[in-house]
Amino acid sequence: MSATKALLLLIPLAPLFGALLAGLFGRAIGRTGAHLATILGVATALGAALVVANMVFAQGFRYNENLYTWLSIGTLQLNVGFLIDPLTATMMVVVTFVSLMVHIYTIGYMHEDPGYQRFFSYIALFTFAMLMLVMSNNFLQLFFGWEAVGLVSYLLIGFWFTRPTAVYANMKAFLVNRVGDFGFLLGIGMVLAYTGSLDYTTVFGFAQGLGGSMVTLIPGHAWSLMTVICILLFIGAMGKSAQMPLHVWLPDSMEGPTPISALIHAATMVTAGIFMVSRMSPLFEMSATARSVVLVIGATTALFMAFLGIIQYDIKRVVAYSTLSQLGYMTVALGVSAYPVAIFHLATHAFFKALLFLGAGSVIHAMHHEQDMRHMGGLRKHLPITYWTAVVGSLALAGIPPFAGFYSKDLIIEAVQASHAAGSEYALFAVMAGVFITAFYSFRMLFMTFHGDERMDHHTREHLHESPWVITLPLVLLAIPSLLSGLMGVQPLVFGDYFGSAIVLGPDSPVLELRKEWEGVLHFTLHGMTALPFFLALSGIALSAWMYLLRPDVPAAIKARMGGIYTLLDNKYYFDRFNEVVFAGGAQVLGGGLFRIGDQTIIDGGLVNGSAALVARGAGLIRRLQTGFLYNYAFMMIFGVFALLTIWLFKA
Amino acid sequence: MSTIPNFAPAAAEILLLALVSLVLVIDLYIDQARRALTYYLSQGTVLLTVLVLVNHVNTAPVFTFSNMFVDDTLGRVLKVLVLLTVSVVFAYGRQYAEERDMLKGEFFSLILFATLGMMVLISANHFLTLYLGLELLALAQYALVALQRDSARATEAAMKYFVLGALASGLLLYGMSMIYGGTGSLNLQEVAQGLASGRVDHVVASVGLVFIVAGLAFKLGVVPFHMWIPDVYEGAPTAVTLFIGSAPKIAGVAFFVRMLGEGLAPLAHDWQQMLVLLAVVSMALGNITAIAQTNLKRMLAYSTISHMGFVLLGILAATQQGYAAATFYISTYTLMALGAFGVMLLLSRAGFEAEQLNDYKGLNKRNPWFALIMLLVMISMAGIPPSVGFFAKLSVLRAALDAGYTWLVVVAVLLSLIGAFYYLRVIKLMYMDEPEDTSPIGGDLDVRVLLSVNGLAVLLFGILPQPLLSLFNHAVVQSLR
Amino acid sequence: MIDFSVFVFYAFAAVLLAAGAGVIVSRNPVHAALWLVLAFFSGSGLWMLLEAEFLAISLVLVYVGAVMVLFLFVVMMLDINLDRLREGFWRYFPVGGLVALLMVGELVLASLSKNFATMGRNLPAAPADYSNTRELGMLLYTQYLYPFELAAVILLVAIVAAIALTLRRRTNTKYQNPAQQVRVKRADRVRMVDIASGETAE
Repeated sequence: MSATKALLLLIPLAPLFGALLAGLFGRAIGRTGAHLATILGVATALGAALVVANMVFAQGFRYNENLYTWLSIGTLQLNVGFLIDPLTATMMVVVTFVSLMVHIYTIGYMHEDPGYQRFFSYIALFTFAMLMLVMSNNFLQLFFGWEAVGLVSYLLIGFWFTRPTAVYANMKAFLVNRVGDFGFLLGIGMVLAYTGSLDYTTVFGFAQGLGGSMVTLIPGHAWSLMTVICILLFIGAMGKSAQMPLHVWLPDSMEGPTPISALIHAATMVTAGIFMVSRMSPLFEMSATARSVVLVIGATTALFMAFLGIIQYDIKRVVAYSTLSQLGYMTVALGVSAYPVAIFHLATHAFFKALLFLGAGSVIHAMHHEQDMRHMGGLRKHLPITYWTAVVGSLALAGIPPFAGFYSKDLIIEAVQASHAAGSEYALFAVMAGVFITAFYSFRMLFMTFHGDERMDHHTREHLHESPWVITLPLVLLAIPSLLSGLMGVQPLVFGDYFGSAIVLGPDSPVLELRKEWEGVLHFTLHGMTALPFFLALSGIALSAWMYLLRPDVPAAIKARMGGIYTLLDNKYYFDRFNEVVFAGGAQVLGGGLFRIGDQTIIDGGLVNGSAALVARGAGLIRRLQTGFLYNYAFMMIFGVFALLTIWLFKA
Repeated sequence: MSTIPNFAPAAAEILLLALVSLVLVIDLYIDQARRALTYYLSQGTVLLTVLVLVNHVNTAPVFTFSNMFVDDTLGRVLKVLVLLTVSVVFAYGRQYAEERDMLKGEFFSLILFATLGMMVLISANHFLTLYLGLELLALAQYALVALQRDSARATEAAMKYFVLGALASGLLLYGMSMIYGGTGSLNLQEVAQGLASGRVDHVVASVGLVFIVAGLAFKLGVVPFHMWIPDVYEGAPTAVTLFIGSAPKIAGVAFFVRMLGEGLAPLAHDWQQMLVLLAVVSMALGNITAIAQTNLKRMLAYSTISHMGFVLLGILAATQQGYAAATFYISTYTLMALGAFGVMLLLSRAGFEAEQLNDYKGLNKRNPWFALIMLLVMISMAGIPPSVGFFAKLSVLRAALDAGYTWLVVVAVLLSLIGAFYYLRVIKLMYMDEPEDTSPIGGDLDVRVLLSVNGLAVLLFGILPQPLLSLFNHAVVQSLR
Repeated sequence: MIDFSVFVFYAFAAVLLAAGAGVIVSRNPVHAALWLVLAFFSGSGLWMLLEAEFLAISLVLVYVGAVMVLFLFVVMMLDINLDRLREGFWRYFPVGGLVALLMVGELVLASLSKNFATMGRNLPAAPADYSNTRELGMLLYTQYLYPFELAAVILLVAIVAAIALTLRRRTNTKYQNPAQQVRVKRADRVRMVDIASGETAE
């Protein structure tokens, strides 16, 4: 085995090893052993990922090889393999870095929890699965990683399985993701059916030739094959990356412990859909229709989920809705073919959103698991480090230069502006409005939590203190890239040829246009400060300052006046209700009907009892053949020979 | 003609024969209390033979004994599998035989002679050696079934097996004589050449083929030559059923591959269609009748019949891919059969056979670990991923599909869905029902470990099927033209 | 010459078939066994016609001389009620007979000489000092060594199986063991007891 191969294998296997150690021998190695094993595993993976990223970045290293043939039947080969290119390298670094921070943070956050070892085992296992997903060089491994991260996600949402809400939430996540996975699987199936391979390189090679192919799913309607495949794949992405209308599981997933909200439901797993679409850019570039679908769904998610952030009082839910909205932004970027911009936003978002979640977790930890912002306030004095890192995170989220979020978000807006794709006008409005709302709710959260009157009860106030270093250290370490990653990354990631051939850009991609106008980071920053989004963000912040710092009576007044809209938002646009009534209720009605007609009449009456009767009759018949008498058996054999002989003599 | 033949390719067979004779003699001087020695000697015999087999593997087939014996990779692989299976049979069956006063030297020596017969069969390159290997195997099997002399059920089963087996041998011999009459040779390659030359009358060839296929089908237990299977499975002592239901199936597939795939390859077009018929009725009758059974041994008997239908799907593809798939299938089936009967033997004790389905109620509460092992085996028999049974089905279906039998594959999948029902019923009984019998589950440590490995192997090869698949691909490619 | 051998062939063949039918239909098992003896004789006559003298003679010696005699003893000792065994015979006769008839028809059709015409293989003329037995022996121990040994193994298995299935050591029968009787020591049989006066033996 070459050194490179060993190095690459080390990246996913080190966390897996840690996970197995903590999971299977958790009791034997104890709490310290469990967190040391997993942290060492993930740290090793981060180290190796950095080395690989450096090789990719500095030496143009590329790798695409099958390591193990899992199954080969006939012509179909199913492999486990790695594809290392700049896209993978970026994801690997982001995943391992955020994962390491969350691991360290968990030592402090979960130290009282009885399921300590189990938790470490899960998050290390998650890191393994996510790395297998991003490093894959074929659809099958992608799908396995996809399902594995999903599995760990359900396990972690229901980590506190004694809470009914947690169990409900993980079931919801499971069911909603099944819808997405179904589309994804169909997409993969179509890829296999039309190209005969699951290997990325082979499939992408075929894709060029399949551009004009049509497929008839409903007689009389021929659709472009690529559009169908891309939309099916995107349905998978919608489930995992929580795009409307498959977003409903993500807010509920906040029932899980905060570290996993940061790691899985903000920074990494939910971005798997974005990653997947970017990876499939050669396919998506073949279908403008599919991209427009992506664009409209992304824009809708970006705007409408932002609205919901305004009215939440649960600190984690605010961050959760902001995540939904930001995922919408990334999807918009995908929709206008600005894949590098989407990945760029994915990376910066991973840092600052993990930071915000962990900050929220630090507050919750200090408040003894109180999550309602109405019972907070004035925490700035008690939690100074948490406060300042939260400020960094909020500024980044709001998109204020020179924080990371500014660069990536501003590029998305500019890309939409430059795009001519169908639906880009709507998307432009959505992302512009989204900027204002994002700034508003992120500072609303900051002000309600850290400023104003101390609204908590006496007992809690007595015990308020800054979190231990294992919690604050990851905050500080995440604050640094939240501040700098945009500034440093924008030039190479978007405007350099960093991604090379890993991402295919069509001739009408707005990124090409943006590249022409690019005049350096400083110019971009200054230009951004004169543009509309910047002022929208500033006015959002100003408005929330006015409402929550100067005139705390205003929000209540608005709430009273705008009853209708408030109720609409409070019920999350009735998505859950709709699902309950139409899908769950419909399923129940359908199920009831099917039960009566299908199950009781046809299945019980006809198939089960009928087939039982048939089987009984058949079995009776065969039992009559199986008489136990030798001469019957011998006759059966002779008769068999006779029948065969007769058939073949007549043929011959 | 008078030169000394090359004995080296048959070293394993010669060693086995010598050692069995030795065991037979030594056993005479051992009293019943120290019968364990015979057990260890038999195990040693098997393992030594395995060592000889894996010691050296030719890349190309080597012929000896006037081309009546062939030593090739496929043969070696199958022989090693047969021997390993026999070793497991000894381990699982020992306690059962002891409790029923069957643990005599003959229990071991007859199984070893049957093993020799299987090895002869696997390496046969001549109608005569095929037939003699088959008879050696069959004769030992008849005696084994009747070994529990005072059981009327066992004696009746042995009698049926014997008479029907003799009839099947007669059919086979008649078919062989027809082919001999047509081609003038008994050697597989010469027969193939003769048939390919077109000099043989098609009617004669067809008649010979029908009789040969019937004889082969009896051996595997394919409908309508399956009638002995349920009675013999149920009637024989479970330790013997374990043997009959495992290793001889591997030899049976080898018999098919040698006879049809090599000797009668030029008639492939005809026998493919015959096997299509037999496969469909086997899968249908096996799966449907199994549902109505209340006795686990009978249920497994009918399940065997349906599995043999699946094996035929691989063989009837008449391609290297198909033969590899069929041998892969039969190996995994053997693994599963060992697991299922192993659990049955573990649960049985003196005076209690553990062969009714109701005896498995609430097994999970009595012993969750072996309930899990049984669960894995049942899932695998039903062909549900990620067990190895899924890949076995997948590979034969793929082979049949590539050979152009699309409708047959659809039928096979539907029938296997019906079949899943009765396997799942066993799982339901084990996990959902309350135990009726709460007596402790015995078993020696070595059996428990072996059975656990057996069950986990079903899962392991399901997660990583490729090593096994490529082993058979490799063996078939190196051995058959 | 040719005509005569053909005539002999048909004569023996007809007797063989008739005897075969006799085995099946005769009601008395002893008669059936005797029919079988006749069938063996006719078979050996056919072999004689093929100049396979050794085989012809061993067929008579082994099957008629040994196997059938043994068989007759068993049949006469067991007193089998054949009528009960063949109760179903006539009930299944129509179906069974029809299938049998059709099958015979098909097989006759298949083995018509024209189908084997392509063979055209004539036996080589044997020299005067040709020994059938010697040639068989030569073949058996050279070319057919392997199947010959296998047949021996099968016989061994048959012996093992027969003994395993029939030999019983009855535990309730009394028998003498001469070896034990010879090896017996005084101490095994006689116990010296010192009995002091006034006490009773234990």
